[in-house]
Amino acid sequence: MGKTFKAKITLFHCINAFTERQSLSSDHVDVKVVKMPCSGMVSEVFLLKAFEAGADAVTILVCPEGACRYMEGNIRARKRMEKTQSVLDEIGVKGKRLTMHHVNATDPSAVERIVSGILGDLEELGPNPAAL
Amino acid sequence: MIVGQQKPIEEIKKMVKPYKKLLILGCGTCVKTCFAGGEDETAALASALRMTFKIDGQSVEISQQTVERQCENEFIQEAAKKIGDNEAVLSMACGAGVQAIARRFPKSPVYPALNTTFLGVQESQGVFTEECLGCGNCGLGVFGAICPVTRCSKKLLNGPCGGSQKGKCEVNPETECAWQLIIDRLTALGQLNNLRTYIPPKNWKTSHSGGPRKLVREDHIL
Ligand code: SF4
Ligand code: SF4
Repeated sequence: MGKTFKAKITLFHCINAFTERQSLSSDHVDVKVVKMPCSGMVSEVFLLKAFEAGADAVTILVCPEGACRYMEGNIRARKRMEKTQSVLDEIGVKGKRLTMHHVNATDPSAVERIVSGILGDLEELGPNPAAL
Repeated sequence: MIVGQQKPIEEIKKMVKPYKKLLILGCGTCVKTCFAGGEDETAALASALRMTFKIDGQSVEISQQTVERQCENEFIQEAAKKIGDNEAVLSMACGAGVQAIARRFPKSPVYPALNTTFLGVQESQGVFTEECLGCGNCGLGVFGAICPVTRCSKKLLNGPCGGSQKGKCEVNPETECAWQLIIDRLTALGQLNNLRTYIPPKNWKTSHSGGPRKLVREDHIL
């Protein structure tokens, strides 16, 4: 399926992993950024609500493995993501729309690459069927 | 606490299919502690159901509320308005809570969103174990406060079966042998002699096997 829609992405991030210096949105994509003190705060309900609010994809940016300031926040985030992916599969939204990426605050261009990777995936996945 | 887990969404959808206005009612006590039916889980299920019904092209208005305890009238009362405003209630409480709502609101259909599983504890974060069957005649005083009625796969009351290996039950090696635990604990407490008392076959009349139970506290009835 070719992407013929303006994608909406919600990006949850830990403040230690990423700082939004300039908007990630463009003509092709609307990126909504939600910052958290630690990625471990992300919960199933926040992730589902992001899809319910219209996101075609949701991604969580976390610190590299072993580098979480609060020890295991990024591991918690992964577990919550996996649980939410299974709920998304169950309800027909597709778990693949939800991803997690380890990023290093010293490499800000990594996030641009992540967003364009998600846009590539959305060409296959199409728009969020629950947002139409 | 009472431990439960959410039913598959497909099963929930089938139950509530006939309704166009649905209240999801959470419970803020036991099922909140086991991450099954508290405020967060209620909001997550509401969101998931709204999305899946939308994908199916079904228009269902879903609202949510969580009360402190669904098994007590005093707290149930707080949800009366929303229950009245909706065609049906999807309860996130244990089976007792679901029935308490049904009893209090005879005109509202009520459905269980959870499978109520057991009476237990949170052994470690996210791990819940069954500890009590509510047999109605507690013998924990003899067994060093470890229940063989619940935790021994064979419900043996006078010592181990002899099949346990490395402290694990022969029926399910994932489970601790309750008798190993009892003996270790009584030894540590210097109470191993407790086990010299013969325990006669259990009279299950006080348990659910004697039929539905009722407890009447005259001192609390006017
Ligand atoms: S309704 Fe059930 S889950 Fe809720 S407080 Fe009462 S016993 Fe616990
Ligand atoms: S002896 Fe009966 S009441 Fe006591 S913990 Fe075991 S099952 Fe529960």
